[in-house]
This record gives sequence, C-alpha cells and structure tokens, in this order.
Amino acid sequence: MPLLETQNLSYVYSENTPFRMVAIDDVNISIEKGELVGIIGHTGSGKSTLVQHLNGLLEPTSGKVLLNGEDISSSKAAKRAARFRVGLCFQYPEYQLFESTVRKDIAFGPHNMGLSAPEIEQRVNRAAAFVGLRPEHMEKSPFDLSGGEKRRVAIAGVMAMEPEILILDEPTAGLDPRGRDTILQMLLDYRKTTGNTVVIVSHSMDDVAQFADRVIVMNGGKVEFCGSVHEVFCRVEMLERVGLDVPQVTGILMELHKRGLPVRTDIYTVEACAEELARVALQRGNGV
Amino acid sequence: MIKDITIGQYFPGNSVIHKLDPRGKLVLTFVYIILIFLCRNFAALGVMLLYLLAVVLLSRISLKMLAKSLKPILLIVLITSLLQILYNDDGRVLWEAGRFQLTTGGIFMAIFTAVRIAALVAASSMLTYTTSPTLLTDAIERLFSPLKAVHINVHSIAMMMTIALRFIPTLIDEVDKIMSAQKARGAQLDTGSILQRGKALVPVFIPLFVNSFTRAYDLAFAMECRCYRGGEGRTRLKVMKLRLRDYMAFLITALCIVAIAVSNYYLTAVI
Repeated sequence: MPLLETQNLSYVYSENTPFRMVAIDDVNISIEKGELVGIIGHTGSGKSTLVQHLNGLLEPTSGKVLLNGEDISSSKAAKRAARFRVGLCFQYPEYQLFESTVRKDIAFGPHNMGLSAPEIEQRVNRAAAFVGLRPEHMEKSPFDLSGGEKRRVAIAGVMAMEPEILILDEPTAGLDPRGRDTILQMLLDYRKTTGNTVVIVSHSMDDVAQFADRVIVMNGGKVEFCGSVHEVFCRVEMLERVGLDVPQVTGILMELHKRGLPVRTDIYTVEACAEELARVALQRGNGV
Repeated sequence: MIKDITIGQYFPGNSVIHKLDPRGKLVLTFVYIILIFLCRNFAALGVMLLYLLAVVLLSRISLKMLAKSLKPILLIVLITSLLQILYNDDGRVLWEAGRFQLTTGGIFMAIFTAVRIAALVAASSMLTYTTSPTLLTDAIERLFSPLKAVHINVHSIAMMMTIALRFIPTLIDEVDKIMSAQKARGAQLDTGSILQRGKALVPVFIPLFVNSFTRAYDLAFAMECRCYRGGEGRTRLKVMKLRLRDYMAFLITALCIVAIAVSNYYLTAVI
C-alpha cells in the first residue's frame, strides 16, 4: 500500500461564478515511503492546488486522498492528524514567520501538536540543525534575518513537526544558484538521516533532476506523465508541449549531440556533465 | 469563506452598462437611491424596480450574482420588516394579539422598507459590478475636482483610494495564503472560544502587517523611481467623454423622476 495516494482527485475554484476554474482534474498519484518525488509543471498547471489537498487544507470537489489507506477527510481527527503527518511548506514560506524569536517560531508547529516542553525543545533543535541554523540565530527575531535564513527558519518550522511526508512548494523560488543548492542539499541530507518521504514541487527541472527518484509531470490540472527522471527527459516533445525545459546542462549536451559530438544526453548535474565532456575530449585527443 | 464576499467586486464585461461613463454611473446611482426613498406608492416603486431589472439584464450580470450581494443584508431587512409589522398600526387591523397589531399599513410599510433596502444595495452593487475600481476612483476624482478650490488635494485622496482598492484582492489572497500556511502548521483558526480564536489570529495578522508595510515602502519607492509627483499638470491617458448612451441613461432617469412625481401626485400614498 502506498503511503500517500490520491484517487480521482478534482478541485474546482469559484464554482457557480463567472470565475469558475478547474484547477485539478481527475488526478491519481501515489507516493511510497522514503521516496523523493518531484512534482513539476508550468505555472498554473495545478501543482500547488494538488499539494494543498495532500494535508487536507483543501477539500476535494470530488475524489479522495488516502494516507496509509485511510481517507484523510473521513473525520475531523483524521484531518487534523494529516496536518501533522503530511508537513506542507508553502511557496515563499518566509512570509509566514511571526514569532518574536526564531526558536519560538520553529516551535509553533510542535506546540500546536500538544507536545511536552522537552520534546518540543528537542525537535526544534533537530530541525534547526537540519537547516543549518546556528545557536546564535535561535534567539534573534526572524525579521532580522536575511532572506535565505528566513526561508530556512520557515522550512525548519515544518520539519519540526517531524512529518512522515515533507512537501515543499517551490522551496528554491527566488534564491540564487548557491542558495538553491544549499536548500536542495539540506533536503537531501534530511531525507538520508530521517528516511522520511520528501516531495518537491517545482516549475524548474534543474531542481528535481539531480535528486528525485520519480517525477510527476502536471499539465493543465492533469497528470501528464509519471516516471523516473530519465524517462521524463526521454520525452522531449512532451516536455516542450507542457512548457518545461530540460535542465540547463542536459540542454547543452543535447545540443552538442545534435551537432555531432558523441556525448551522452542523460546527464543532469554540472559535475557529471564536466566528466562526460572531459571523457569525450580525451577520446578525441586520442584520435578515436 | 473570505472569497464569498461580493460587495465591491468587479465583474469585467463588455455590455452597454459596463461602457457607460463612470461619472454618469456614479451620479445616476446616487439619484436612483434618492428616488427609491421618494417613492410613495407601489406604482412608483414598480417603475424603479423595472429600471433596476433593465440595468441588470443589459449588463448581463446574472441575477444569481446580484442575489449573492443581497445575502449579507438579509438579516437587516428581515429585522426592520418585522419591526414595521409589529409596531406600525396604520390602516386596517387584520389580526390582534395583546399589544401587537397586524395592520395593512404595517405590512405595506414592511414590504416598502424591505424593497427599498434591497434596491439600494442592489443598485450600488451594480455600480461596482460593472465599473472597475480604477475607473470609479477616477470618476470620483473628476466629480470632486472643484474642491481643489478649497485646497483639498482631490488627486491624492483618489490615488489613495485607488491604491487601497487595488490591494484589497492582494490582501485577501495573502490572508488566505498565510492562514493556509499556519493551518499547515496546526493552527486552529475556526474552533474554540472567541478568545481562543482571537489569539489564533495573531500568527495571521503579524505577517500580514509586516508584509503590508514592506509592500507599501516598495510601492512608494517604485512610484518615486517613475517620477510620481502627484496630479499637478498631468494629462490623462483616457479622457472621459459623455456619449450618446450616457445621454440616453440620463434621459431614462429623468423620465423615471417624472413618473415618480406624477404617481406621487395623482395616486394615493401608501406610506
């Protein structure tokens, strides 16, 4: 049984008004324990709406969300439990910080869970360590931190609930490449240490290509494709149709391949790309 | 729940009502509301309701949407009507119970009050439904421009209104987003006592205020970067001009005034 599953999930915004819009339409996905799943899609493809169903924030117009085989909106208790078992970190989460200190802000979630003070303390420290916040950060006001630090505090606020599934909506939006890599590496370490499931929602292939076990491609409110990173990138015409790009390095290699250089095109990281180019250069140098 | 509020909302469209000069629409809405209160009998009231119906049909706003705008005032209408029925003792007595009398006068008065309030709200809703907020503040600025003579900075006030109106949807979106984000962290915003709920709103309003101030600074800088210096000596991109359809609207309203005057004069007043 998958850890989290949706069955024929549909959601319509502003039903019965001129602004009626089908946001997601008959979506069936399943997420296994311990996976790192990427959900990608163009702006307005319904990915943010989809993830808001996964912890019961939005009530589906039709269809179901099953967590461990149990419908999360079956009862009030189940719904509330789902909030904590499926941690959702919104886009630009730094705008939701409100407490007087970083420590208190991260403790907001665990506190709402009704945990004991020492337990909260432990979880806050663990979460802070995952996102690389140093002890001197903890007593500062979150409003005095830099943008990247605020983002990490907000992510820690969700991690501290120690959810079985951590979902992040565009965790790297608005960050420079280094900030992006820091956050992604942090999430990778988090998964390695805890063994928990991580879902990253993004419009950028670069975010998910390097790490994701599986990619779900959304388009126009529907699941367009679901498979491994490699399988997704093999379908260039589908990617073009749904308005997504291959990662930048893959794009370069594909172009080189087209121009007659015998390079592999299933490479998604800068390091691997450099290696591959070195290999080909060496081959050529040897006159092969 | 916040999204259900329709008062002040604008539904883009291309109908003749949408295209009317916003200054004319604003003035006519005021005239309409005054006329509603000048009606003394059902014939006059009927004329005004027909007028409203014609506007709604021409604007192609669905009657359902209009009904939605009336929902928030339903309680007020019911209570005022009930008070009229209970305490008005004009006319023929139909039924009596102790101190309370059910009289024809009371019933007429109740109907009149209900229809007047409903028409008032419906008319102002039609104004905002069919006029974009920017046009509306533009119209207010023009209509009140004579006040410049007494050193009231009409342009700044209009600009403030435009900005405030412009940011209502943004703020509603933001409240929605922050509420969702805090709910995702287990905040319980819709259960508990009033005190608990008030406390639960702190995590929503602090980020909202902080973000609003940041946004206000950003906007002010952006405006200064584009050399904004108030309305002094500026020309307009869109010059408002009264067209045939506007004069037609004036004419129809004038006819309504005549109709009400005549019916008030010749027919017996119900109230």
